[in-house]
Amino acid sequence: MISRVGLRASRPAHALFVMPFVAVYALLLLWPLAKGMLIGLHDHDLLSNDSFWVGLDNYRQLLDDEVFMQVVGNTMRFVAISTPIFVLLSLVLALALNRPGKLGLVLRATFFCASVFSVTLITLVWKLALMPERGLIAQLLTALGLPEVPLLTSDSLALLTVALVTVWWIIGLPMILFLSALQQIPSDIYEAAALDNTSRWRTLTRITLPSLKRTIVLVALIEMIRQFQVFPQIMLMTNGGPNNTTRPIVQFIYEQAFMQLSLGYAAAASQVLLAIMLIGVSAQLWLERDRQVAR
Amino acid sequence: MILMRLSLLLSLALLASCGQRQPEDGKTEITLMRFFGSCEAKFGQINKAADGVGECGIVTTLVNEFNASNTDGIVVRTQIGEWGPYYDQLTARLVAKDIPTVAVMHESALGDYVRRKLVLPLDADFARVGIDVRDFTEHAQRGTTFEGARYALPFDTWAWLWHINTTLMKKAGLLGADGQPILPRSPEELVAQARQFRARTGKPMFAWAVANETAANNRTFLTLVAQQNAQLFAPNGKTIDMQQPAVTKALTLMQQLYAEGHVKPNLDYAAANQSFLNGEAGVVVVGTWTIDQFLRESQKPESALNGGYAVLPFPQLFERKAVFADGYAWALFKGGAATEKQHEASLKFLKFIWDHTAEWSRTGHLPVSRKVAESEAFRALPLRAGLAEITATGTGMPGNVPTQRAIELLIGEDVANLMISAKPVTEVQASVEKRVNTALQKARR
Amino acid sequence: MNPLLRRGWFDKLLMVGLCLLALAWMGPLLWVLALSFKPNEFLLTRTDVFLAPPYTLANYLDILQTSSVFRWLGNSALVALMQTAGVLVLSSLAGYGFARCEFPGRKFLFAVVMFGLAVPAQSTFIPLHHLFSDWNLQNTFAGLILPGLAAPFGVYLMTQYFKAIPIDLEEAAMLDNASRLKTFLLVILPLSLPAQATLGIFTFLGCWNDYLWPLVIATKPEMYTLTRGLASTQTNFAQSEGLGFLMAQAVFAGMPVLMLYLFFQKHLITAVAGTGR
Repeated sequence: MISRVGLRASRPAHALFVMPFVAVYALLLLWPLAKGMLIGLHDHDLLSNDSFWVGLDNYRQLLDDEVFMQVVGNTMRFVAISTPIFVLLSLVLALALNRPGKLGLVLRATFFCASVFSVTLITLVWKLALMPERGLIAQLLTALGLPEVPLLTSDSLALLTVALVTVWWIIGLPMILFLSALQQIPSDIYEAAALDNTSRWRTLTRITLPSLKRTIVLVALIEMIRQFQVFPQIMLMTNGGPNNTTRPIVQFIYEQAFMQLSLGYAAAASQVLLAIMLIGVSAQLWLERDRQVAR
Repeated sequence: MILMRLSLLLSLALLASCGQRQPEDGKTEITLMRFFGSCEAKFGQINKAADGVGECGIVTTLVNEFNASNTDGIVVRTQIGEWGPYYDQLTARLVAKDIPTVAVMHESALGDYVRRKLVLPLDADFARVGIDVRDFTEHAQRGTTFEGARYALPFDTWAWLWHINTTLMKKAGLLGADGQPILPRSPEELVAQARQFRARTGKPMFAWAVANETAANNRTFLTLVAQQNAQLFAPNGKTIDMQQPAVTKALTLMQQLYAEGHVKPNLDYAAANQSFLNGEAGVVVVGTWTIDQFLRESQKPESALNGGYAVLPFPQLFERKAVFADGYAWALFKGGAATEKQHEASLKFLKFIWDHTAEWSRTGHLPVSRKVAESEAFRALPLRAGLAEITATGTGMPGNVPTQRAIELLIGEDVANLMISAKPVTEVQASVEKRVNTALQKARR
Repeated sequence: MNPLLRRGWFDKLLMVGLCLLALAWMGPLLWVLALSFKPNEFLLTRTDVFLAPPYTLANYLDILQTSSVFRWLGNSALVALMQTAGVLVLSSLAGYGFARCEFPGRKFLFAVVMFGLAVPAQSTFIPLHHLFSDWNLQNTFAGLILPGLAAPFGVYLMTQYFKAIPIDLEEAAMLDNASRLKTFLLVILPLSLPAQATLGIFTFLGCWNDYLWPLVIATKPEMYTLTRGLASTQTNFAQSEGLGFLMAQAVFAGMPVLMLYLFFQKHLITAVAGTGR
């Protein structure tokens, strides 16, 4: 009889499961990352591909760069606004649409639909819709008798607007993450609850949500990671403006690398982004690990 | 089993990707990288440049005609790059040693490549194939010459214009007896005219692209500064001086116009054009590239521009007649021609382009050959007569200013803030100076 | 039966609300569809139009008549399918290894892989490009497919999913003296279909719409992916002059993915009452 210990016996051969991935990962992610970190310690010209050592100078400059500081703030604001919305909205949608039948199918496809389109189209459509006076939003507001608010050119509202457009665009993906997690909850638990005549609310809060805790962390994590790297939609809708209130870190990196041709500076900025994301990711994973231990 | 199948598929795909295209026998093939889009459906089979219409059409038919008519067995293979990330793609190709033989570039972008010796000097070659550089217009000379040598064949000059709805101008009392708009000759006159326009028509005089836009704002600003005969950049191109009175005047004017409501607020590029075409503003400040479409729109009876479309260079508001201008040029890349034959082939192609350069002016862009600029044929094109002067008065950032794309972004962004966010003029001056100087310092060449 | 599915008035109200929300959600996309049937010239002056004429098929015809469009479609399909297959295989294997197997250094390796979650694409972008150029993999399918295989998200997802599968199933299989690998392939893997479908859709979509990497690694027009290829056919000011064409391109490029989603989404929702676990 194979004991539990036997199942969990540590055998080097088991490592073969993970080796293919780890090999690709080391070659195509870790190695370039190391090179990138090295570039961050140089002044490297993108176009002529030559460089010289500057040590930590790039990082010193970044700290002094008020544009960069603002850009970091913008990115954090963007993540802080969009991540909770993503998690909550996709959870609600998944819970409500986790049903067999045609209606569920159609509705799920509807909310997923926008994410198949590329970012260039999404931003184009919304720029047209948000056009002053002639745009559909403006016309809607006028029809309702409300004053027109120039959303994309407002210092305070531009970032929020892009965040909402982003949610509209890719809500489908976290939604299907939750949906696939909901499939894992064993149906006997629900049957038992039904036998006990448990109310919907209690079922939701005592059974479903706790089972989804791991997925909630996963969704929060993945959305946080993606939104920290937000770039095309902001660049295409506001180009970082107005007044540098929407420019994200990745746009800064892009401009430094491809327009100012300073690859070293851009690389240093991307390491700063890495550091910030590492803090965020570690925090999330630590929270999850805690819960596991408690169980 | 599935795993095996998948890995087999994967290796097959990898193998398939290794095959290289073989060049056709006997033919010399050169690669041409360009933007301008693709219009194969309409112009793919047309071999006469005279039959091309629009930027895409004319450049496609030019290449087709060359391929069909040249007797040296040269085939030009076009590789179309996307407009937005064109330079990103070009840079990636240079780094990956997948270098095109010929590529079109903005003259403002050439400098960085010239200084890094990535493009070939062409004076000797021009002389050999019979391209007379003395026939280049003044602006074309400025755009393609670096430290006395030419590094590209100019293709066109495009500039900053006022596209005017003369019907509305008439309503505002700003149309002369000769049917030409009365242009302001000073900033004060401009403001007065704008006020008058608003009073008589109830509409703002201008539609500018201000939202999500840096190029337009930068160009208007540079025009105003150039007209005051001021030098924004130091002679070595390494510092910018934003504290000059010329700059203050230019920025104050722009802010005043926007703040007083003479510029329709918050419009981006598409919205500004739309507003103009629908008669919601009197003047849209945009470039030469829209002349063709606006003209076609104005010929429609239901259009707000019907019978009332005029286009003129940005009026002279200060001492000097000047207007922002840039242009496209064809450059040959180091390493882009593997053999001497290919190099010769690319020069023959450039000669062909030069000989047919008049065709390109039908796009609305200005010619780069003095002969063409002065020719009857060019002057006869609708609305062009008034624009010909730009071939001499057009001016951009000096050629030795590095990373002009980035500088344009930095300047344009804050000039937009000046208007949209009502950022004070002094703040804009200080912030642009600081950021641009930092960028210029960082640029190594 | 799942109490959450009890069809009360609340349920009906919820569905009505969701239907309205869905209509609003779809609105912009229906607008895109409508705009794709309008001529470019018309859209130069007005874009706040929906169902009224004029109509034209010219935009779609222009796409179909672009000689390389089916080649680009093929490129995108090949790259996306291969990358998705690769990610599913690598992530499933690694996910199982991390979730259920013990081996020396497991915790350390897992931490190293999780670290990769925090690495932004921009940190590795340029060095990766240099690497692929050195290996002469620019303008190859390998160049387009390989980098996407290193993303650790798939491993994270599969690890979480496998961890949630009750261990008794494996024990039962191992009792029958099945090897680890067999257990994995025949017992565990089929149970993870929802996760596979999800990861598959994620990866496929990410690959299909990838912006910067295909731009720099595939610079020859015959190697363009669909989105990049279509974008290259646009004129400089397409957002103003070629709007109808842009819209048609977007619909054309989005259709394959939508169809893929519709095809795979039945795996997302296994029957709620009973089967699977």
